[in-house]
Amino acid sequence: METLILIIIGLVAGPIIGGLIAGLDRRVTARFQSRQGPPILQAFYDVAKLFGKEAMVVNQWQILCAWVYMIAAAVSVGLFFAQGDLLLIFFVQAIGSVFLVMGAMAGKSPYSQVGAQRELMQILAYEPILILVCVGFYLVTGSFSIEAVWQLDQPLLAKMPLLYLALGYALTIKLRKSPFDFSTSHHGHQELVKGVLTEYSGPYLALVEIAHWYETVLVLGLCSLFWTTNVAWMAVLLLLTYMLEILVDNTMARMTWRWMLKRVWLIGMGMSVVNLIWLYAG
Amino acid sequence: MSNLLLLLILLPVVSALVCYFVRSSAVRSLTVVATGAILTLAALGLLGQGTFEPLAVGSILGISSDFLITVMDFALLGVIFFYGLKHKSLLIQGFTLAQAALLVWFEMVMIDHTAVPALVGDQLSLIMVLVVSIIGSLICIFAIPYMKEHEDHLHLKKSRQPQFFFFLLIFLGAMNGLVLANNVLWLYFFFEVTTLCSFVLIGHDATEVATKNSVRALWMNSFGGLAFVIGMMLVYMKTGSLDISAILAAGPQGALMVTGVGFICLAGFTKAAQVPFQSWLLGAMVAPTPVSALLHSSTMVKAGVYVVLRFAPAYMGTLLSDGVAICGAFTFVACAALCIGQSNGKKILAYSTVSNLGLIICCAGINTPLAITAAIMLIIFHAISKSLLFLCVGTIEQAIGSRDIEDMRGLYAKYPRTALITIIGILTMLLPPFGVLVSKWMAIEAASSNIYVIIMLAMGSALTVVYWARWGGSLMATRVADAAPEKQALLIRLPLTILCAGAVLLSVAAPWIYNSMLAPMFKVAPFTMSFGSLDAVTGSVAIVPLFIVLGLGVLFAVKAASGFRKTKIMPPYLGGANAEEDGTYIGPMNGPVPFSAGNMYLGELFAEGKLTPIFNALAIALIVLMLGGAL
Repeated sequence: METLILIIIGLVAGPIIGGLIAGLDRRVTARFQSRQGPPILQAFYDVAKLFGKEAMVVNQWQILCAWVYMIAAAVSVGLFFAQGDLLLIFFVQAIGSVFLVMGAMAGKSPYSQVGAQRELMQILAYEPILILVCVGFYLVTGSFSIEAVWQLDQPLLAKMPLLYLALGYALTIKLRKSPFDFSTSHHGHQELVKGVLTEYSGPYLALVEIAHWYETVLVLGLCSLFWTTNVAWMAVLLLLTYMLEILVDNTMARMTWRWMLKRVWLIGMGMSVVNLIWLYAG
Repeated sequence: MSNLLLLLILLPVVSALVCYFVRSSAVRSLTVVATGAILTLAALGLLGQGTFEPLAVGSILGISSDFLITVMDFALLGVIFFYGLKHKSLLIQGFTLAQAALLVWFEMVMIDHTAVPALVGDQLSLIMVLVVSIIGSLICIFAIPYMKEHEDHLHLKKSRQPQFFFFLLIFLGAMNGLVLANNVLWLYFFFEVTTLCSFVLIGHDATEVATKNSVRALWMNSFGGLAFVIGMMLVYMKTGSLDISAILAAGPQGALMVTGVGFICLAGFTKAAQVPFQSWLLGAMVAPTPVSALLHSSTMVKAGVYVVLRFAPAYMGTLLSDGVAICGAFTFVACAALCIGQSNGKKILAYSTVSNLGLIICCAGINTPLAITAAIMLIIFHAISKSLLFLCVGTIEQAIGSRDIEDMRGLYAKYPRTALITIIGILTMLLPPFGVLVSKWMAIEAASSNIYVIIMLAMGSALTVVYWARWGGSLMATRVADAAPEKQALLIRLPLTILCAGAVLLSVAAPWIYNSMLAPMFKVAPFTMSFGSLDAVTGSVAIVPLFIVLGLGVLFAVKAASGFRKTKIMPPYLGGANAEEDGTYIGPMNGPVPFSAGNMYLGELFAEGKLTPIFNALAIALIVLMLGGAL
């Protein structure tokens, strides 16, 4: 019963928190660029407006894919709040990513095709790191379930500092922030148009947006597990991490997927492996 | 009991003879369908009777069955040697002669011919019999209309189907014998039969490339046979026993015996086409699709992993076990990487097969109850999904005349049924809560205690997503409103539908499959089952609840998508005005400009030609390391 209540809290709170973060993100970014920026609730206004638009698709499969993306993202957040198995949560999350890509490939547009291919490269870059982070959790707590993390008496960050940094890479890629924003971009007037999102429009784009909020919450939730002994420090850790994300987003140019793949597989994986060696030895 | 066993092993042989000598296609179809049905029932009957202790077969027509097997062994080696001479392959001749010489010494000098119970049925054997008999039969049934169409294309004067179905059916019998064998010599005999059958079937079309590839398959597998004989002799030197159950019960017995088991694993590697032996399985694609489906999914390659898995208790806790795990994990990641660079659908399936077999072997090497569970689950679910996908590619190839995934773009528009089944097949390979991914989840959790293995599994897992997702996505397209329905022959539709439904439904039943068939294998079972989810201290997977939640979600999504005719269908955005003609836009000079998009195959990073020699060299080093680890 308790689990069920937690799941419902997760499902309801997920998009609200995610939407607020998106709004804050835009506001802070605007301040960095000496602009006023939109209201914090702008992300919700946007989605509400999208839902009111006429439904248009290039391909029937996009409707299916957008819905499955949203549902899988919601289920993975639900599982996270139910204190489920980390590795399983991660695999359920992957359902959403795969359907987003397949939906983009269903449309014949070259822009969404290119975006889909690049999105696959992003998955290729962050997946191994996320799996190794899960393995790190297992080595410290003796279990893949989130429940075990709460039993710890010292923050995980102390044991897995390098894995946290590697997770930072994964976070940036997952949130599609610069320098890793090459499967879709914030602004549609670039060479990529909107990449993987080009052919999603109206209500379906709104679904994709909500799914993305869920994903943001999931990844930040994973970060929060690194400091479970004290809620205040957990909040500080999350705040610092996200601020760093915004800073990186605003100060970096977009790179290529080759650059990402080499950088992330070498440095990200390298850090993860070193950290894992410490854990195996310890 | 023993009647069922005889039925499972000998009925395919009898049916094969019928197919060979009665040259009527009606009789052949009937025989194949009836054999398939009887085999399926017999396998289920065997399962119903439960596991059984090793039992002796006794004599057939007054001749001891062990003696009969020995005679047939040498006859088989003779036939293979003959093919070696015919194709002027020194490798085949050498490996076969060496096998024969060692075997003579083994039979004449070393062993004292005491009676050894020939057959045994534990959980692993029974599961393998089910996989072979049911999936193998479905593939054989699919082959009936497929081969007819295949030969229509070739304009043969005289049908070669009798020979084809002869070997196809023998294959099923040999596989059943192999997985039920308790006497090492029997195991070796059936092992060699599958080698010969695969050689003939790969070379069936008798084109130049088919012959070349079949010869390569034969020499590689003869090498495996030689490794098997050496391993068998070393194990016998120490244990003095041919009884597999007894050898396994005794566990590792020192360096000599473990080295012997190492050689037997090496034989398993060749048969399971592990790197550096992957080339024979890739070459097997030239054969008609049912052959590749049979080789890849339920028989040949599964014989390899079965052998490695069967002997797992005999190397538990040794360095050899770690070696096996690392070799398997390496194949998993290497073949997943090679797969990224492929656009040929059958080649993608082939590399993915080898990659998954690597994962199974890796699990056998990790050798904990959790890992063994993962390995057996993967055998079951991979066999279903992969045979389905092979049959799909075969159907698509006969429809569009190409097996390139770039040519399959938008397949749904013209062949909705085939495309839909293919997409479902791909998803069952790729996503939770389907069986393949649940097994992969178990494998990763089991591998977490070994840093080398887990790193390779993490990388391989990511690579896998890429090549499946882009294939699935490119099949999707919109049907024209009043398009004619797709036509499919009944005997093609039947196996496709059964396998597709099986892949989904058996995944839902995975907790019960685990509970009834796998859990009794272990003293301490890795999971407990409650409400359709598998729970352990290390982590749990709620299979049935996930199926219910995600299933409802997908149903809802399908319903939403099925109303698409009401939404506005728009041409894609092209950065210019869309032209009347599909696939073009109005470009400069007001003319139509065609556009196209293809998948990225990352040639500069994942080129097959560049990577293969590197991977082969690394794999050989790892195998040497593995065998050395036994000492």
